[in-house]
Amino acid sequence: MSRPGAVIEVDRNTPPTLFHYGEGFRLENLPLGSRILYPPDPIDPIPHPERAIRRALSKPLEDDPLKGLLRPNMKLTIAFDDLSLPLPPMAAPDVRQLVIEEVLEMCADAGIEDVHLIAANSLHRRMTADEIRHIVGDRVFSTFWPDRLYNHDGEDPEGNVLVGRTGEGEEVTLSRRAVESDLVVYVNLTLVPMDGGHKSMATGLGSYRSVRPHHNVKTLLASRSYMHPPDSALHHSCVRQGQLIEDAVRVFHIETSVNNHAFPAIANFLQKRETDWTTSDQVQFLAMKQFTDYAPPAFKRTIFHSMRAPYGMTGVNAGQVDAVHEKTLAAVRRQMTVEVDGQTDVVTMGLPYLGPYNVNAALNPVLVVCLGLGYLFNLYRGKPVVREGGVVIMTHPCRYEFDSVQHPSYIDFYDEVLADTTDPAQIEERYEARFAEDPWYRQLYRKSHAYHGVHPFYAWYWAAFALEHAGQVIVVGGEREVVHRLGFRAASTLEDAFEIAEQTVGKWPSVTHLRTPPLLLADVR
Amino acid sequence: MASWYSGRYGVSQLLDAAASVSGDVRTMRRGFRWDRPRPRSWPEPSPAIPDRPSNLGWARMEPVRSLRFLVQRGLMMPFTEAMTHLQVEGSEWVEDLDRPAILAANHNSHADTPLLLHALSQRTREKTVVAAAADYWYKRPLLASVVGLFLNTFPFSRTGGPQAVLSSSHQLLKSGWNLLLYPEGTRSTDGRIGEFKPGVGFLATETRAPVIPMHVRGSHRVMPKGQRYPLPGPVKIRIGKPLEVRRGETSRAFTTRVEAAVRQLGDGREDSALTGSWIDRWRATQPRRSSSEP
Repeated sequence: MSRPGAVIEVDRNTPPTLFHYGEGFRLENLPLGSRILYPPDPIDPIPHPERAIRRALSKPLEDDPLKGLLRPNMKLTIAFDDLSLPLPPMAAPDVRQLVIEEVLEMCADAGIEDVHLIAANSLHRRMTADEIRHIVGDRVFSTFWPDRLYNHDGEDPEGNVLVGRTGEGEEVTLSRRAVESDLVVYVNLTLVPMDGGHKSMATGLGSYRSVRPHHNVKTLLASRSYMHPPDSALHHSCVRQGQLIEDAVRVFHIETSVNNHAFPAIANFLQKRETDWTTSDQVQFLAMKQFTDYAPPAFKRTIFHSMRAPYGMTGVNAGQVDAVHEKTLAAVRRQMTVEVDGQTDVVTMGLPYLGPYNVNAALNPVLVVCLGLGYLFNLYRGKPVVREGGVVIMTHPCRYEFDSVQHPSYIDFYDEVLADTTDPAQIEERYEARFAEDPWYRQLYRKSHAYHGVHPFYAWYWAAFALEHAGQVIVVGGEREVVHRLGFRAASTLEDAFEIAEQTVGKWPSVTHLRTPPLLLADVR
Repeated sequence: MASWYSGRYGVSQLLDAAASVSGDVRTMRRGFRWDRPRPRSWPEPSPAIPDRPSNLGWARMEPVRSLRFLVQRGLMMPFTEAMTHLQVEGSEWVEDLDRPAILAANHNSHADTPLLLHALSQRTREKTVVAAAADYWYKRPLLASVVGLFLNTFPFSRTGGPQAVLSSSHQLLKSGWNLLLYPEGTRSTDGRIGEFKPGVGFLATETRAPVIPMHVRGSHRVMPKGQRYPLPGPVKIRIGKPLEVRRGETSRAFTTRVEAAVRQLGDGREDSALTGSWIDRWRATQPRRSSSEP
């Protein structure tokens, strides 16, 4: 039985608190009386994942066993989540590999020849061959790559078809291969409650036209929060699209969930509460801090991005989308939920080196906002951890650095759009269409490994609610010029940040620190 | 502060760095109460957080992999080459494996592992883990760390039964690592091949990984059992065609077939079916799921 999440109050004996700081760390003393939210410890993984997968496929929820759906001459497509999940990437074997191998085993027994595997990367960048190999494993890769195992291309005019419009007028497009298949098997990995469900197919195999209806400022402002689908307009839209897809395509949905064992043994201290740090953990921390303080950024990045998380599979369910997703969400909530009494004036969070959109790349300033105010801020159910008009304090170096291969449109977004305004609604109105339809960005998305031209807009909209809700955002340790461009205040130290925050929330504010990653879901009462 | 690589560092920057390190240590000492008892208000450490994995998972991570690459290329391989003038036959079978394989070799000497690793292509060598007897190499932590670092070993139970063999080996094969095994389980004293234990067949039938037979000749003269330092002497390694478990074949029958293949390699005959041309290799490495090809 793993230890549940906790809310610890800082007293005189509390050791300093770890703050992630990009590709580095800070050890900070929080004011007395502050609360620290710790995620639950990793729950025990399923001991025999392959067996559990076979059981899920043979006894699906509200659907026929997979074996019964397979016929020799059918056209079958297996779609799977891309590398934005999980974070950090999972140590091999990835659970998607295990599921896909079992599905293919059944396909081979049934004598199905026409099988394609598609990485459902939506408007994310194309994955490299090695990245795909890591997800699906050597055996699948060597059998299907590259003509039957490939990335989805949301901008291929021939490769996508319009499925229809929902009752709310939302367009639904889908990969032609999926639409023309007799059966689509979707293999999902759910890390946080935002993932999975109808969002997988509707977004993963969609195009700009089908993502636009829910990835916009109005919808995202009405999503309180993305991590609680019943209260999320984003998810309501995906459900409508998903229901339309189910009418057109036979989908067999497989979802997996993993525990929050996010760091390998070499960085085990990151997984633990500070009061649990042994002498060896403390030495490890000191050594790693010196390394991150003095090593060249490129070298540090290589080391950090080569870390693989020893996640363990905690659940696998197959069958009809809604029934499956309900079970998956229960497993994910069991792993992530921390009950919190009331909101706070100031919330602090350390931003790590990695978000969903910078695997093997630098976390650029736009993605810093997306990670801090888009993802970590929204890790709540009920109410945000910080009260309306409160202050968000984040620690990150916030350097002007971009990966020109992965994030070309982000560079122009930062230089051109943010120089004009940081208001999401104005940005959407004035600039989105131009970036989304830019032929050069489209070319880079289709042929190189670049995120779609519209992607930096979505990263920014993701933070729209936090920007509206928070009275002030302060970045500790960030480059002043960059932080100001983002529309925030810069502070050199956490103490300075609290000084600045006092101007907004008054003296003696209540402070809550989110000790993530590993990720948690604050259930604020 | 200027970083050490910026070209702008000097004495004052070095002093700053030293001060920063000392500051970090001081913060840790005070914050974590190095010189005082653990406060009662601290909750009990969680027993649920797993300890460090005991299979030396760190040996397969960066920067250890880079360090091993340097040691193997800079020290181990030149030394092995100079001592044994190693000859390798059939290396095309292990040049570019398209999926993880089990490398099964006869065992004469502690020198076998560096020799066999030497016989692999760079790419294959980097993805190969060596099964080391848990009751021999892993009794002393320092020795375990050294072989883990230099040879990328993992503890392989000789006595724990099939499940013990499977647990970590299966995980490693699934993770894309090749496995170098000595199915005899111990070193030969005179260069003759002993009986193969059934673990290799069991592992292959469970994981469906191909088994590549390898034969080492002459290493028992380089470093015989009981000898602590290597002696110069010629060594020849022959590598055979990958073997796959046939439909309905039992693990014991497959083990017998692997043993026969290794013995045949040791016979010294030039058998084209075993050493093979690129066409044989091409066919042998054809993915198992060939039924899905057009």
